[in-house]
Amino acid sequence: MVRHPTNHKPAAPGLGKSSLSSLEPIDSAPFRRPSSGVFVWGTILLVWLFSLLPWRLWQPTPDLLLLVIAFWCLNEPRRVGMLTAFIFGLLMDVHDAGLLGEQALVYSLVAYGAITLTRRLQHFNPVVQAVHMLPVVVIAEGLSSLVHAWLASEWAGWGWLWSALFTVVLWPLADILLHLPQRRQEEIDSGAA
Amino acid sequence: MQGQGTIRLFKRGPTAEFRLFVFVVLSLSLLLVDSRWRVLDPARQAVSVALYPFQRLVLAPRDAIESVNGWFDAASLARTEKEALQRQRIELAQISTHAAQLAAENRLLRRLLNVSEMVSQASVAVEVLYEPPNAFTHHLVFNKGSSSGIEPGMPVIDEGGVVGQVIRVTPFTSEAALLTDEKISIPAQVLRNGLRVIVFGGSSSGKVEVRYLTNDADIVPGDTLITSGVGGYFPAGLLVAKVDHIERDAASGFAVAVASPLSHPERYRHFLVLRTDTTKSEASQEAKPSGSPSDKP
Repeated sequence: MVRHPTNHKPAAPGLGKSSLSSLEPIDSAPFRRPSSGVFVWGTILLVWLFSLLPWRLWQPTPDLLLLVIAFWCLNEPRRVGMLTAFIFGLLMDVHDAGLLGEQALVYSLVAYGAITLTRRLQHFNPVVQAVHMLPVVVIAEGLSSLVHAWLASEWAGWGWLWSALFTVVLWPLADILLHLPQRRQEEIDSGAA
Repeated sequence: MQGQGTIRLFKRGPTAEFRLFVFVVLSLSLLLVDSRWRVLDPARQAVSVALYPFQRLVLAPRDAIESVNGWFDAASLARTEKEALQRQRIELAQISTHAAQLAAENRLLRRLLNVSEMVSQASVAVEVLYEPPNAFTHHLVFNKGSSSGIEPGMPVIDEGGVVGQVIRVTPFTSEAALLTDEKISIPAQVLRNGLRVIVFGGSSSGKVEVRYLTNDADIVPGDTLITSGVGGYFPAGLLVAKVDHIERDAASGFAVAVASPLSHPERYRHFLVLRTDTTKSEASQEAKPSGSPSDKP
């Protein structure tokens, strides 16, 4: 939705005549159209396949799959939810040869956090969203580390904290990339108008 | 709800809190069961088999590049290898005459002692598929599994000696814990004097430990540890590690020898899985397939 450059003076109340084109929406926050389902699932599958590659050996590397799933939980809570997060977490557990349920726990918790924050965060810019998501990811990863420490009686160190931080830092980038089709659509619309 | 006559305007499942509760309980119970028992292994195997095509798919570019590289390097590699092999042949010629002599002598002595002949070990060459990114464990996943005859418990070796032990097997892949993994313990002996010990995965990374040594045990830095063959999982005579230093604790009366493994799992991609008879050793001493063939020295 693009704001029309108005030649008219804004209609002051009580001045009598005003044309319809001088009306402006009270809330000029951009209207977001929903992303297409194919795009949402396509990006998740792509990032999942990418996560199977051997580039995550260093512990503080960001968890891109978690980032994308959390992002879609926040922006498309009707399509992507906790079940998706749980299943992909389990798949990563099997691939990483870790304890079953470890990443599934992290993914479900982060998905829950994102879904609960949906209403509050949808109209904020990605940086604010990232700031809100940081504690969610840290708490989820921390809880999982604690559970692991309890079960296996070994502490993994603090690498996961960095991982959580790097994951969240990439949020604005994810916002740019994953909303690309919508932006293009909006440009086409504004061009037509 | 509909019995009371209310109209459901929106399709709505259970609340987010309820879903969270379900998934958290599910994850926690999976974690608990998987860390204590092995009942989830079939499920893990099934998922793993389903994952396998995807893993191969994403690794296909890497494998293709490597095969092309290998093809181009083949000529120079063959030349250098030829030189190395020629040198080795000369060295081995001496050793083999010596070995033949020793073998004959050994056969004779064994017959005298009525010890059964040692069987030569069948083996499977495997390649590393990937290294699981896990902060807690040192594992490798190989590209062959139970369809090639690999079973949990079989030892993995390279030309330096013992690399680790197979702990999980799916039809097309197998997972090995390295020597340095905390789960692994190997019955060994000191090559110099035959002292029987157990080598454990170290608490410090990249090292192994010999624990429960008495303070006066005859083990010194530089000693080579080889498998003793006790327990049945590891055949006797494989190189394991070289002792770095001994930590003697006067208070407890026990010493710990810290040793460096002689194999190099981080350097190569090809390893050998020895197809030892894991069922026999299991029956004989009820050791867990993944766990340690535990026996006291």
